[in-house]
Amino acid sequence: MIRVFGLEKIYHLGVVKVPALQGVSFEIHRGDFLGLMGPSGSGKSTMLHLLGLLDYPTAGTIEIDGIDVSDLDDDERTDYRLRKMGYIFQDYALVAELTVLENVMLTALAQGKTDAECRVASTNVLSIVGLSNRLDHLPKELSGGEQQRVAIARSMVNRPIILFADEPCANLDTANSRAVLDQFHTINEELGQTIVMVSHEEWHKEYFHRIIYLKDGQIEADERRQHHRKDDEDRS
Amino acid sequence: MNETVTRLKLSFFLGLRSLRRGNIGSLVMTVVIIGMVFTNMIFLPSVITGAINLFVDQTIEYSSGNVLIEPKEDAEVIEDLEDLLARVNRAPGVLRAAPHNNIGGVMKFKGSRLAGSVIAVRPRDEALVTGVSKMIRDGQYLGEGDTGVIIIGNYVAGHKDKSEDLMPSLGGVRTGDSIDVEYTNGVTRTYRVKGIFETKSYMADQVAFITWEELESIKGQQVDQATEVLIKTVPGEDEEEVKLALIGMGIQEQIKTWHDLLGKAFAEVVQSYGVINSISTIVSIVIAIVVIFIVIMIKTLNNRRQIGILKAIGIHRTTITFSYVFQVIILAVMGIIFGLFILFALDRYFSIFPIVFPDGDIRPAFTLADIVTNAVLLFIASAIAGFIPAWQIAREEILTAMRG
Ligand SMILES: Nc1ncnc2c1ncn2[C@@H]1O[C@H](COP(=O)(O)OP(=O)(O)OP(=O)(O)O)[C@@H](O)[C@H]1O
Ligand SMILES: [Mg+2]
Repeated sequence: MIRVFGLEKIYHLGVVKVPALQGVSFEIHRGDFLGLMGPSGSGKSTMLHLLGLLDYPTAGTIEIDGIDVSDLDDDERTDYRLRKMGYIFQDYALVAELTVLENVMLTALAQGKTDAECRVASTNVLSIVGLSNRLDHLPKELSGGEQQRVAIARSMVNRPIILFADEPCANLDTANSRAVLDQFHTINEELGQTIVMVSHEEWHKEYFHRIIYLKDGQIEADERRQHHRKDDEDRS
Repeated sequence: MNETVTRLKLSFFLGLRSLRRGNIGSLVMTVVIIGMVFTNMIFLPSVITGAINLFVDQTIEYSSGNVLIEPKEDAEVIEDLEDLLARVNRAPGVLRAAPHNNIGGVMKFKGSRLAGSVIAVRPRDEALVTGVSKMIRDGQYLGEGDTGVIIIGNYVAGHKDKSEDLMPSLGGVRTGDSIDVEYTNGVTRTYRVKGIFETKSYMADQVAFITWEELESIKGQQVDQATEVLIKTVPGEDEEEVKLALIGMGIQEQIKTWHDLLGKAFAEVVQSYGVINSISTIVSIVIAIVVIFIVIMIKTLNNRRQIGILKAIGIHRTTITFSYVFQVIILAVMGIIFGLFILFALDRYFSIFPIVFPDGDIRPAFTLADIVTNAVLLFIASAIAGFIPAWQIAREEILTAMRG
């Protein structure tokens, strides 16, 4: 579904060139729950930004559903992000001036759906993440875990083909992290949602189907996990 | 098309919420400033319009009437006056005609001499046509058939201490005083000052009036001539129509509406005021633009990260830009409404306490045209001032913006 070939990204800091990714190739399949891991500075966020069309590669190609994304112009990329992709950031990245419900409705509204449709769809995803009783709260009135769940709901409301998460649990305690990861697990299992998630917590591994380890901008290992976290029976 | 509607709707949604949940202090401040700027834009032209109105009203009320008949091009005086008056008074739209016969003279009082207009009038007709009879500051108006008396304008009377006078005067004449008038035909008469009038019109307050009977006694014969005939038209009647009707009746003398009379001077005055006005408007607009630009600039800079986030999740930059434009539009509308309240209050205030000028009380006149034009100007300027910073920041790279 996503095919990455020879991906390079070089940042220019004045005259200094910082090679963040140095020719990375791999594929992501529909329904994958992919973990991107590796030491700090290894290029995980860079990779996610390129896959998520938030930035442009220096070289190499990204193909999504057979489309080379370098063929898309700026407007098309915006539209692609809106309709096909979902994002969850480390610091939640909610719109401070909008309520929980409005934050989630935002991308649905931007697609031109009616207010009522957006409201129904948003209330649904918010109930999936367990925030039905917080619809009219502003982000600042929520805990970090709750805010991140709003972000998950927002990324889900348009049924994206792929969901990107960059260290979504970095600001959360273990309990909240688990709640967020369980949420990912649920939507991945039950809705078949493709997820690419950056993490450097060892214990997150149990959630991933597959882990790509990056080091110095290159793939160090690509590991498919046979015994990824199964259902509730393991937990009890 | 649909895309555009969707984007604008979302812009409005975002803009409205940003205003509602944003900083109330900066919102109020912006609205107040826009309101003040708007008031400032309207106030100066309104004072100027008020001054022009005053000048026009005074001219009609005390000097020319609505329509003025003057001698034929090559003549000094209007002949066959009685016949003319009879015809004019029958004309449609004419309320009354009042003849003036201006015989120049030199007035003398306790060693002061003043050359000026001494005008013979028919007091009853005059009272129906001009407002002088209602502006007697001291003493009484002329009675029909009075002889041996004169009424003089405020500037003619003047002050004992001439340094207080705005114009040459007789140096402090009071009702009951006697003044001598030396006429151009050599006759000199002594008059008791029956009254002093003060209209505040420069032109009107520099003349003196005697009765027609007094004129005839000076000339020693009946006078069937006038130097001008003032006509008061029926209220609401178009002066131009009356003028055409008079021409239609075969009157050969020059017939001028007040508009014809003021025409040239008027155009010049309006033009020079127009320049002052434009400068004041431009300054106001620049202030408004700068304030709005700064407010939106600060707002967008504070929201840089948020703008990055919106772009990241697929909100089009046009939507983001216009969310700020909508905020500015709402602020501008609120500011203009606030300004209208201030103007309304000023209007109330100045109708009770007009601005006192030597030549009359000026009531600022707020015209709908001024209000609409300036509101539109301010509105457009605001929208542009809001658009530019928003557009700039919405163009930024997503990741750069998101780093804040
Ligand atoms: N905007 C930038 N300008 C210059 N260099 C950058 C920029 N962003 C990232 N880099 C560099 O690129 C390399 C990869 O960065 P990246 O953020 O992808 O690492 P990461 O794996 O996400 O690290 P972390 O775990 O700390 O988040 C680093 O050396 C980093 O310093
Ligand atoms: Mg990172």
